[in-house]
Amino acid sequence: MTKLKIDNTTIEVAEGTTVMQAAAALGIAIPAMCWRKGHSCHPSCMVCMVKDADRGNFFASCAMPVADGMNIIATSEEVNDIRREALELLLSDHVGDCEAPCTLSCPAGMDIPLMNRLLAAGEFEKALKVVREEIALPFILGYICPAPCEKACRRKPIDGAVSICLLKRFTAQEAGRRNANLVPEVIRTGKNIAIIGTGPAGLSAAFYLLRAGHGCTLFDKNEEAGGAMRYNIPAEKLPREALDAEIDGIRKMGAVFKLNTPITPAFFENHIIPAFDAVILSTGNRNQQPVEDFGLTAHNGHEFADKKTFKTARPGVFAVGNMIREYEMAVRASAQGRIASAEVGIYLNTHAPVKKLHFNSLFGHLTKPEQEEYLKESIPGPPVEPEGGFMAGFDAGQAVAGAKRCMHCDCRKPASCKLRIYADEYGANRKRHLGPERKALTRSIHHDLIVYEPEKCIRCGLCVEISAKEESLGLTYIGRGFDVRIGVPFSETIAEALAKTAADCVNACPTGAMAFKDREERIV
Amino acid sequence: MNLSHEHIIKTVEQIVAKRGTSADAAIPVLQDIQQEFNYLPDEALKHVCEITEITPSRITGISTFYSQFRHQPAGKHIIRVCTGTACHVKGASRVYDAIARELKLADNQVTDSQGTFTLEKVACLGCCTLAPVIKIDETTYGHILPEKVGEIMQDFLSKNLNTNHRKASGPKQGSESMGEIRIGLGSCCVASGSEEVRLELDKILAETKINVNVKQVGCVGVCNQVPIMEIIKPGQEPAFYAKIKPSEVKEVILSHFQPVGFFNRLKNSFVNSFEKVVVEGEEKSFRKYSSDQRDTPISEFLGPQMAIASENRGVVKPCDIIEYRAGGGFTALKKCLDKLTPQEVVDEITKSGLRGRGGAGFPTGRKWQMVKDQHNEEKYVICNGDEGDPGAFMDRMLLESYPFRIIEGMLIAGYATGARNGVFYIRAEYPLAVKRINEALLICRENGLIGPSVMNTDFSFDIRIFEGAGAFVCGEETALIASIEGDRGIPRMRPPYPAVQGLWGKPTLVNNTETFSLVSWIFRHGAESFANTGTAGSKGTKVFALAGKVNRGGLIEVPMGITLRQIVEEIGGGIANGRQFKAVQIGGPSGGCIPASHYDLPIDFEELAKVGAMMGSGGLIVLDDTDCMIDIAHYFLSFTQDQSCGRCTFCRIGTTRMLGLLDKIRHGKGKPDDLVHLEKLAESTRQGSLCGLGKTAPNPVLSTLKYFRDEYEAHINGHCPSGKCLPLITYSITDECIGCTKCAQRCPSDAIDFKPYEIHAIDMEKCIKCDICRQVCPVDAVKVV
Repeated sequence: MTKLKIDNTTIEVAEGTTVMQAAAALGIAIPAMCWRKGHSCHPSCMVCMVKDADRGNFFASCAMPVADGMNIIATSEEVNDIRREALELLLSDHVGDCEAPCTLSCPAGMDIPLMNRLLAAGEFEKALKVVREEIALPFILGYICPAPCEKACRRKPIDGAVSICLLKRFTAQEAGRRNANLVPEVIRTGKNIAIIGTGPAGLSAAFYLLRAGHGCTLFDKNEEAGGAMRYNIPAEKLPREALDAEIDGIRKMGAVFKLNTPITPAFFENHIIPAFDAVILSTGNRNQQPVEDFGLTAHNGHEFADKKTFKTARPGVFAVGNMIREYEMAVRASAQGRIASAEVGIYLNTHAPVKKLHFNSLFGHLTKPEQEEYLKESIPGPPVEPEGGFMAGFDAGQAVAGAKRCMHCDCRKPASCKLRIYADEYGANRKRHLGPERKALTRSIHHDLIVYEPEKCIRCGLCVEISAKEESLGLTYIGRGFDVRIGVPFSETIAEALAKTAADCVNACPTGAMAFKDREERIV
Repeated sequence: MNLSHEHIIKTVEQIVAKRGTSADAAIPVLQDIQQEFNYLPDEALKHVCEITEITPSRITGISTFYSQFRHQPAGKHIIRVCTGTACHVKGASRVYDAIARELKLADNQVTDSQGTFTLEKVACLGCCTLAPVIKIDETTYGHILPEKVGEIMQDFLSKNLNTNHRKASGPKQGSESMGEIRIGLGSCCVASGSEEVRLELDKILAETKINVNVKQVGCVGVCNQVPIMEIIKPGQEPAFYAKIKPSEVKEVILSHFQPVGFFNRLKNSFVNSFEKVVVEGEEKSFRKYSSDQRDTPISEFLGPQMAIASENRGVVKPCDIIEYRAGGGFTALKKCLDKLTPQEVVDEITKSGLRGRGGAGFPTGRKWQMVKDQHNEEKYVICNGDEGDPGAFMDRMLLESYPFRIIEGMLIAGYATGARNGVFYIRAEYPLAVKRINEALLICRENGLIGPSVMNTDFSFDIRIFEGAGAFVCGEETALIASIEGDRGIPRMRPPYPAVQGLWGKPTLVNNTETFSLVSWIFRHGAESFANTGTAGSKGTKVFALAGKVNRGGLIEVPMGITLRQIVEEIGGGIANGRQFKAVQIGGPSGGCIPASHYDLPIDFEELAKVGAMMGSGGLIVLDDTDCMIDIAHYFLSFTQDQSCGRCTFCRIGTTRMLGLLDKIRHGKGKPDDLVHLEKLAESTRQGSLCGLGKTAPNPVLSTLKYFRDEYEAHINGHCPSGKCLPLITYSITDECIGCTKCAQRCPSDAIDFKPYEIHAIDMEKCIKCDICRQVCPVDAVKVV
C-alpha cells in the first residue's frame, strides 16, 4: 500500500494506482480526455494536470503512479489555470461549432439542425417535439418570425438559406392536420401561477409552466387572448386559425384564461399576489400599462427585471416580453416566457436548475472548399418554394425536401463532447490562443455508420489503438508535430479502415471528431 | 526512373529477407527501400505489409514521422542546406532562397522541373565553422554566398564530384619511412577540401617517391583552420599547415622532404623554382605554424583546453586498434574485468562525479546503479548518438574520431550494469560516424573485445548499430527506445524510467556518446583525477562546438568552470570582424541566451541553470551586435516546433502559438499585450509539456525575454535594432554608388534598373531583401535601413 496526500487529505491506495485513480477514490474528479478505462494510458491532452506540492512541478495525473509521501494539489486556482490553458490550446486548433449558427442566432435557441434531420427522415412528430423544447408557438411564429436563423444559415450565401421558418411552421401544422394529441402527461406540483398578459411571452410562459406541472391562470384586458399578435398583426399576415389553434392547445393543457380583466394596482395587490405562488408579468408595451401598477419601479425608464432570470425586485414576480424592452421580436418574447417559467420552478423549489452547456466553439465563415465539404450531407439546389406561396406553407414532401438542404453545421456530440464540457466547466476562452489562420475543415462521410471530422480531433489516438486490435487496415497517425493528424493508411477510405470498430471508436472519441450518423444525443 | 511492379516487389523481398519480418524491422526496411528507389513508393510499402508483421498503420505512422523519408521521388541530386544555428546567423535562409530561385521552384515545390536537384533543409551538417554550408549529395560546400549558388551547382555538375576516389595510402614498402604526415578527415575537414589535399599529396608522393606515412586522423578540433596538415619528422618539431590548398601541397612537401633519386630532385627543384616565380607576390593562403610556437592561433585555440573525451586528438587514426591500444586503449576495460566487481565499477563512476553529457546532467553513477540493481536477465546499454541540435556536432566528432573509446565505455557500462547487449543509436545524417563505428565494431569482434567472451572472460557483450531516421525528439531517451522498437519516436511519461523499464520493457542504460567517451579515462587515471577537474557540482570536462561570430570556431574540450569570457576571448580569439560581443546561445534549442553581463559566468550545470540556460548537448554559438535576439528566439523555437512529436497539447500547439506570436512581433505587428501573453504561454508550455523537448522549448524565448526585453519592445514599436528582421528593414543605395551596375545585374527580382555610370536605386515594391546587392557592391553603397 502507498500513502499519499491529495488536497491535504491522506489516502492509502494499492501500489501501481495512478494519482487520478487515487483522487477519484477521494471523490476528487480530475478532467480527462485522452484517458479511457481499459485502454493504454499515454497522456496527450494534458487536461488532467495536478501539482506536486513538494517539488513544485505539474504532471499528468492519469499516467503517474502514486508514490509514498506524495503531496498532490488537485484543486487550486493554479491547477485550474494550467488545465484551462491546455483546453484553450486545444480549442485554438479545433474547427467545429458546438451549436449551429442558426441555433445560436435564434433568440429562442431552437435546435434547428436536429429538427431538420428528423423532418428529412419523415419523423414529423419528433421534429415538433424538438421545436417545442424551445418554441411554444411554432405555428404562430412560423408566420411572423423575422427568422434571424435564416440570415445566419451557412447555406444562404451558397444558394439560399434553408427555409427554417416554414419548416418549423410545418411541424405544428402537420400535427394539427393529423389531430395529434399534444397534451403531455405531467406530475402536478400543486402550485398556481398568474400570468398577466397573453401575448407571445405570456402564452409561452403558460405552455412551459403547464408542462412543468404548475397550475396557470392567464389574465388579459382584451376579450380574446393573443395580445399584440391578435390586435396589431393583420390576419393576412397571421391567420387567426393558427393563433386560435395554439391558444386552444394551451387551454387544453389546463390553462385558465381570465379575459376582459384589466389589472389595476389594487386588484394586483389584493387578488393576485395573495392568491398565486408566483406571477409572470407580460403586459406588453409599457406605455399602455406602467410597471408601477405592479408595485415596481423602472430605473432609468427601464431595467426593472434581471436580464437572465427575469426576476423583479419583488420576490416571485417575474417580467418578460415587450414590457421590459420595446420592439422585441415575438420569438424573443416567447423565449423569455420559457426562461421565466423555468425560473419560477427554481423559485418555488419544485424544479432544479437545468444544467446547460453555454460554451460554444465558433469558427465563423466557411471557405469555398469547406462549403463543398458541408454540402456533402445535403441535397443540391435552391430553396424549395411552397406551391401555394409563403402563407400556404409546405406539404410533407416539400418539407422533407426543404429539410434535406440542411448542411448540419451543428456538432453531433453537443452533450457528450468532453472538450465542450470541460471548456464550460473551466471557463475556457476559445479565442485566447487562436492562430493566424485556422485549419480548413473536412468531413468524411464514406462510412455507413459514422461521420469523421478530423479538424475536431485532439489527437488522443484512442481510435488508432482500438482499430489496431481488430482491423486489418485501421487508423494511423500521419505526420508529426502540429501537422499530425489521424488518417487512413495508403489514402484508403475510413469505411475500409473501420470495418468492425467504428462504433467503439465513436464511443471512445472524446470530441465530436467521430460521431454516429444516425444517432442523436438530444432526441427528446 | 521507371519502376516496374516486378522490380519493386523483388527489391522489397530482398530487403525484407535481409532485415527481417518483425515489426521492429520497419525503420531499417524503410531506409533500405528509400536507398533503393530514392523515395518510398506506396506499392513497396503495401508489399512490406503483405509479407511482414508490419501493419499498414505502423508503416504509415513511421514513414510520415521521420523526416528522412520521402513519399515523392526526389531529383537526381539532393541539395541539403544546413539550417544549423551557425549557418542561420550567417544567412542560411538567404542561401536557401537563392537556390530555390536558381532552381525556379514554386512554393511547396522542392524538386526542379528537370528532376535534377531536390532542395532540402537539414537541421545541422555539423560543419558550423564553415557556415553557411550546403551539401550536394556527398560534396559539402562551405562559406556560401547567395550570389554564388548558381556557380556552385554548375561546379558540382561539371566536376561530377560524386565519384568517390578514396584510396588508402599507407607506408611504402621496402624502404624506411622519412616521417609522418597527418591529415584531418573529420567532416569539417572533408567539407573544406581535405580530401582533395590528400589526393594531391598521394600524387606528389608517388611522383617524388618520398616515403612518408600518410595518416588520416580524426577531427583535430581546429575547425577554423581546416584543411589542416601536420608534418612530423624525426628530430624536428611538428609543423602545422593550416588552410592549405591542393595547389600548395607540393611546395610544402618539398620544403620538408627530399625527393628520392637525383633526376627527380633536379626536376622537382626546377619545377619548384619555376612555380615560385609564377606565384611570386601572390599571398599564400596557407599558414605554417610550428607546434612549439606559443602565440599562434592554433596554440591559443588549444591552450585552455583539456582533452579527455578527445584525448590524443589529431594524432590517432580513428579505426586503428593497434594505435588505440598503444595509447592505453582497453586497459580500462581490462582493469574492470580483471580487478573490479561490477559494484566497484559503478562506485568508481559515482566517485568521479561524472554527470550525463546529454544535457540534463543526471549523475551517471546513480543511473548505472539503478540499472545494476534491477533483477533481470536481460538488460541493455544504449549509446545515444542522436545528436540533432542545430549547432552541435560533438557526438559526431567523437563517433568519427574515437570509436574505440566509446565502445570501451559501453563495454565497461555493460559489465557494471549486467547488460549483455548494446545499441549505438546514431542519426542518419552522420554517415561517416556510422561507417567508422561499423568498422570499429568489426575490428573489436575480430579481436575478441565484443562477443560471447570479452577479453577471454565470461563477460559477454554484443553491440549493434541502429540508424535514426531524422527526428530530433529521438534524443529523448524514451522516444529513442520507441524508435528502436520500430515505432514513431514518441516520448512517454517517466516513471517508469528506462533504467527500470526500457528497451523491450527491460532495464536499459541510456547514456550520451560523450559520457561514454569519458569512462575509460576515469579508470585509467582514477576517479579522483577526474573529480579534481571542474567545479563542486560538475566534474571533468565538457566538449563544446564553438561557432558563430568568433574568430576561431571549432570543437573544444574545456574543464568545467571555465568562464564564458575565456572561451570566447582566449580560445575563440574574440569576436570576428571587429564587432561587439552581444550574447552566447548555449545548449541549442533547449538552452538560452546569456548576455554580455554574464561574460564571466563559470560554465557548469548549476551556473547555466541559474541564468536560464542549459548545458544541452553543448552547442555554443557566439552572437554579435548584428544578431537580433527575436530572430534567434524565433529560430530556435521554429526548430523545436518543427521537431515536436505532436503528442502532448502544450508542445504540439503551445510551441506553434508561441511561434505565431514571435512571428507577429518580428513583423512589427506585435502589441505590448503580446509579450505578457507570450511569457505566460512559454511558462505553461514549460510546466505542462510531457517530455524534455517541450519543457525546454520555451527557454530561448524566456531567456531572451529576460535579458533582451527592450529588443522585443523595439520590435513592437516597429523597429529591429539589429536590422535583421526582413519585414522591418528596407534597402537603399547611397550617393556613393559609382554606377558599376553589378547590383542591377545580380538582382534576382529586377528591383534595380540597369543604369551604367548613374546612381542606382532600389524599387522596394519588387525588392525581396535577398541582400545580394549589398554583398556585390564594391563601394558599400547599399545600406540597410
